[in-house]
Amino acid sequence: MNNYEIVIGLETHIELNTKSKIFCACKASSWNEAPNTNICPVCAGLPGVLPVLNQEAVLKGARLAAAMHAEINPRSIFDRKNYFYPDLPKGYQITQFFEPIGKGGYVDLELPDGGTRHVRINRLHLEEDAGKTKLEAGMRLLDYNRCGVPLVEMVTEPDLRSADEATQYLTQLRQLLRWIGVSEADMEKGHLRCDANVSVRLVGSEKLGTKTEIKNVNSIDSVRQAITIEAKRQIEALEAGNRIESYTLDWDADTGKLRKMRSKETEADYRYFGEPDLLPVILTEVEIQGIQSALPEMPLARKARFVTEYRLSSYDADILTSERSLSDYFEEAVVAYGGEAKTVSNWMMNDLMRLMNSQGKDALSLVLRPQDLAEIIQLVDAGKVNAATGKTLLEKVETTGRKASDIVASEGLGLVSDDGLLRQRIEEVLAEAPNEVTAFKAGKEGLFGWFLGQVMRKMGGKADPKRSREILLELLK
Amino acid sequence: MGPEKITPEMFDRLVALAALGLEEGEAVYLREELNHQLAAVKELSEIQVDPDVEEKPHGLDCLGANPRKDEWVAFPNPEKIRALAPEIQDGMIAVPDVAKIGGGAA
Amino acid sequence: MKFYELNAREIASKVRSGEIKAIEVLEKTLAHIKEVDGQPGVLDGVTLSQEEENKVHAFIEVTESLARQQAEEVDRKVSAGEDPGLLAGVPVSIKDIFCIEGVRTTAASRILSNFYPPYTATTVAKLQAAGALIVGKVNLDEFTFGSSNESSAFQPCPYNPWDPSCAVGGSSGGSAASVAAYEVPLSLGTDTGGSIRQPSAFCGVVGLKPTYGRVSRYGLIAFGSSLDCPGPLARNAGDAALMLQVIAGLDPRDATTTVVEPSDYLAALSQDLRGMRIGFSPDYGHIAYPDFETGEVTYEPLQAEVSRATLDAAEVLARAGAEIVEGVPMPNSRFGIPAYFVISRVEAASNLHRFDGVKYGYHTSKPVKDLNELYRLTRAEGFGNQPKLRILMGMYVSASQHSANYYHKALKVRGMIRNDFVQAFDKNGKYAIDLLMTPSTPTTAFKRKEVFGNTVLMQYSDQMNVCANHAGIPAVTTPAGFDARGLPLGIQFIGPEYREDLVLRAAHGYEQATAEAAWRSRRPVVLAQGKEQA
Repeated sequence: MNNYEIVIGLETHIELNTKSKIFCACKASSWNEAPNTNICPVCAGLPGVLPVLNQEAVLKGARLAAAMHAEINPRSIFDRKNYFYPDLPKGYQITQFFEPIGKGGYVDLELPDGGTRHVRINRLHLEEDAGKTKLEAGMRLLDYNRCGVPLVEMVTEPDLRSADEATQYLTQLRQLLRWIGVSEADMEKGHLRCDANVSVRLVGSEKLGTKTEIKNVNSIDSVRQAITIEAKRQIEALEAGNRIESYTLDWDADTGKLRKMRSKETEADYRYFGEPDLLPVILTEVEIQGIQSALPEMPLARKARFVTEYRLSSYDADILTSERSLSDYFEEAVVAYGGEAKTVSNWMMNDLMRLMNSQGKDALSLVLRPQDLAEIIQLVDAGKVNAATGKTLLEKVETTGRKASDIVASEGLGLVSDDGLLRQRIEEVLAEAPNEVTAFKAGKEGLFGWFLGQVMRKMGGKADPKRSREILLELLK
Repeated sequence: MGPEKITPEMFDRLVALAALGLEEGEAVYLREELNHQLAAVKELSEIQVDPDVEEKPHGLDCLGANPRKDEWVAFPNPEKIRALAPEIQDGMIAVPDVAKIGGGAA
Repeated sequence: MKFYELNAREIASKVRSGEIKAIEVLEKTLAHIKEVDGQPGVLDGVTLSQEEENKVHAFIEVTESLARQQAEEVDRKVSAGEDPGLLAGVPVSIKDIFCIEGVRTTAASRILSNFYPPYTATTVAKLQAAGALIVGKVNLDEFTFGSSNESSAFQPCPYNPWDPSCAVGGSSGGSAASVAAYEVPLSLGTDTGGSIRQPSAFCGVVGLKPTYGRVSRYGLIAFGSSLDCPGPLARNAGDAALMLQVIAGLDPRDATTTVVEPSDYLAALSQDLRGMRIGFSPDYGHIAYPDFETGEVTYEPLQAEVSRATLDAAEVLARAGAEIVEGVPMPNSRFGIPAYFVISRVEAASNLHRFDGVKYGYHTSKPVKDLNELYRLTRAEGFGNQPKLRILMGMYVSASQHSANYYHKALKVRGMIRNDFVQAFDKNGKYAIDLLMTPSTPTTAFKRKEVFGNTVLMQYSDQMNVCANHAGIPAVTTPAGFDARGLPLGIQFIGPEYREDLVLRAAHGYEQATAEAAWRSRRPVVLAQGKEQA
């Protein structure tokens, strides 16, 4: 069997998280709302209506272009893409064909073998979403709630070389979109949709093979599965001496099968022309520079910095930079703490994230702020509370919103290091266990831990372990 | 050379693309008028225009307002829009399905 | 003087002062409409009696209860000492291409014959806020496609009040006819390639196409989105100026409306014509006739009376102090109609995509086997010939293999057409004119059925008007006499963008200078039928 290379290009549609739709003031997000309730004459395509552009859609689109290292087009134009389909009320989609908002661009994927995959962006433009259709008993049912939601369409060159790279691209894209705040990027809710163009060719060949387009892959797993199956099918077909025909394929997640939808040979002529109801989108030099300079430190750069600056492991840095708010939280906590970043990292990765998961909160919605976390760690460091108490304090602060030190004081959680009281309690313990004392003095040194345990029990865990040890040693001599 | 003419075959394709249906008589009349109009446009298609001449999507350079602020303003009566649809089912607009053009497993 | 001869400013003034009640204005208006309009346009038409052959038929629907509500509100405000608005109590007819909430809006098409919009067009809302009485929706060419109003699914189409055997022009035919027959002093029309000015000239009224973007298109069922201009029709420049004042302005619902503020149009009228440089162009001094087979264009002289009227008007203006500048070249105007054929059709075809029987309007009652058949049958049955032709032409010239040669070239040619005007109006240029003056139409009104069906010839009746649409600039037509058959003649003033004040000033100045002309006391023949009281 010959050696084949898989060639993949991904086309993504990204729902922007603006408040309102791109061309009207209806809500942008209407997941789970009753059908045809989040509509107005404009997005429902009534006669006589006109689109009016949402400024925030432009700014978010431009921000994404900047984050993808694309050039922000200072003068982009909206065009009409004309075709008949019931989910398109006007009979045309307003999109950007001739002069899109982003030109060029790329993203680099770190490959597991240490190499880099440079993925070029072919197209980055703004457009409006269509409605949703549901098939029922031979009829199509239409819901226009989603018509007019702002989308960025982003298409890569066929630079990806495996299903894994494709999923990595999507995962990284998802992280980026949330990082720069342009989209919630939840694939289950359709915020991030993906079509995959797949072809194969003999390794070393320069020419691209015929591609097929896979639609309706709604999760990262589906993308991986569908690409793998289709690549295998194409290779087997070629090995058998058959031609690959250019088709659009529909992925059925339930059966795990690809189904032919239509031949791509007869592409529709969309008769694109400039949208006469909208004026060119102008971004000044100052505005463009502003957008570029306002870009935050990007996920990979931040991860690299956490590794070098805070001496975190790659694994830890990865987790802490999975969400921008989490990484901001970490850094703030480190600054507030003033000590080893690794300590903060451990606390966050073990206990804090467990708390977040159990309560379904993210770093922004936590009541416990970075300064609070720092305070708790400091209390433990200073011996004011022991580690176990420290961990419970996380939840107590989260629930009550009170300062950790206040809670310690009011609930009496502090470790007791008052020598007088401690000494008294330790003497009581020893008095209550005369046999063990005798055994210890006779050489059973292992009992020391038992004594310590008893002291802890008597003091409800609040004995300062260090001081307790010292006093015990002294009294057991 | 005369202007390009739309043949009956080209015409039928256009009619299908336009999602129109025409009676025989209508089709003859419309195709004829279409060809007359193309003749009238012949001069336009033949003049040499300097490639540097700008395409004007609007006659004048419109001095319009800036794009609007991102605010949600609900339309007060979506039920009035729903009420316009000839066929509605559970709040969704109902239409017959598209014709299937060759299914089958890949 | 008959009541219906009061102009809009007079009515508004009397209603605002309390001299007349709005409801009284309405009653008299409705009575006169009933007297002269006759059978309104209805889907599929009716056979007309002999008497009906001398009626105007401008209306598709008289909106009596709406107007009554408005009149009562105006009267209430006047009594309460509140401001009832600049157009208080003034009856207005609305071209049935503007959406009014709860009022049937048909676009003169079967495909919208049962359409009741859930919202109101901005221009109509402004008229209502100014106290105008919306007395009804008037007829038009279907979807505004046409220049004679004959292409309406609602028949009978309007008849010319000066000679009912003649066409009213189009597409704002009902608007022009309703004003000409004194049914209303004001009408709201639209001008995409001459659709206000040509019928205004045919019917002997004043018709203004404002600058593109001067008046909001929100709620106007679109034809040529880069060309459509809502505008006033009236019997004099002053009334047109008043109506423009009310409807002009930036609209947040229309991104193409301009931030350039409207000026005080009524104030502009008081300035006289002394020193105004009014240009004439030889390129507007002939009629272009295309050969339908070869596309070769031949030039014929204008109808003699049209030429005469224009020259006479120039003399009048010169006597009033204007400077007449001859020989202004407008060499690219000959591409006006061809470019219009392309640009307007591309936009129209796209704008008509939404009419598919799915969301609103007509849908076929025949059984359909799939969605595509629903579309095809609905559109086949719902659209008349002119929409179908617009759609097919639009699709052809924007198809990917043709668009460079037709659509994209037309967009360049449009720039060349505009440049002719820019150079002519350039204060530092050779001609430095304030306005260009031309005949409004190459001929006076043609007989009904004479041109209908010949779509190229029909389009060429707009040849004096269409270049102003391409250039986006304002233009007004004003009556300038009658031809030997008693049909109105019109002259047109075209000005630089945002200078509606200049074109209105010229029209008003001409009006003042010819106020005593004998022809101004003529009245349309349809009024002579009336047995009304004053």
